[in-house]
Amino acid sequence: MMSLPFLIFACALGAAWLRQRGVAIGLWVAGLVVLLVLFRIHVTEVLSISL
Amino acid sequence: MPAELSRLLNAIGLMAIVTVLALAFIDQLWFRDLPCPLCILQRVGFTAAGVGIALNLIFGPRPSHYGITILGASVGASISIRQILLHIVPGTGSYGNAIFGLHLYTWAFIGFALTIIGSAILLFDDRQFAHPEPWSNRLDVLPLTALVTFFLLAVGNVVSTLLICGIGLMGQCPDNPTQYLLFH
Repeated sequence: MMSLPFLIFACALGAAWLRQRGVAIGLWVAGLVVLLVLFRIHVTEVLSISL
Repeated sequence: MPAELSRLLNAIGLMAIVTVLALAFIDQLWFRDLPCPLCILQRVGFTAAGVGIALNLIFGPRPSHYGITILGASVGASISIRQILLHIVPGTGSYGNAIFGLHLYTWAFIGFALTIIGSAILLFDDRQFAHPEPWSNRLDVLPLTALVTFFLLAVGNVVSTLLICGIGLMGQCPDNPTQYLLFH
């Protein structure tokens, strides 16, 4: 699952190379959403700082 | 800014991101410093930022492409800040090797900040978006090398992350990996 955003961005690059700009940008948005979800999943520890 | 200068500066920017991703691989393979989940996500952040620069090289410079780079780098910077905060209190340890006194997540934050600043500076020049000269489809050596290497590093990270985290669902990636999970 952690490799999924790399795969999506690699596909976005492939689409860009094939001159499919809309597809490339769509894939980039999907990759960014997956990245944010994975970030949320891995933010599990409470920071040991008091503000 | 002439189109060719814009392409050259974008190619240099993409080469800088390629260098960062390649150095991360060297640290992983040569010094056996396996990346933690947040470290992997920071690599994803650099890849997300690099896609915008790649779009500039392939389709010509557009504000939306710089926006992609800035958004990708902003998410990456957020991840590196989170990891810096995990270790900011003295006595809370650190993760991985230090290079020139700073850990890789601190260097990553500096890299993301420079990417955002560089993109913002390049956005200043509106003349690159006016298309006074046709955007050549033929790529020179530097942009082509940057694009191909960037793509290969993205694919390499797919393989590397699969080896470290396995092919299971999310949450399987160990916080402190000491071995390639797929081999065990």
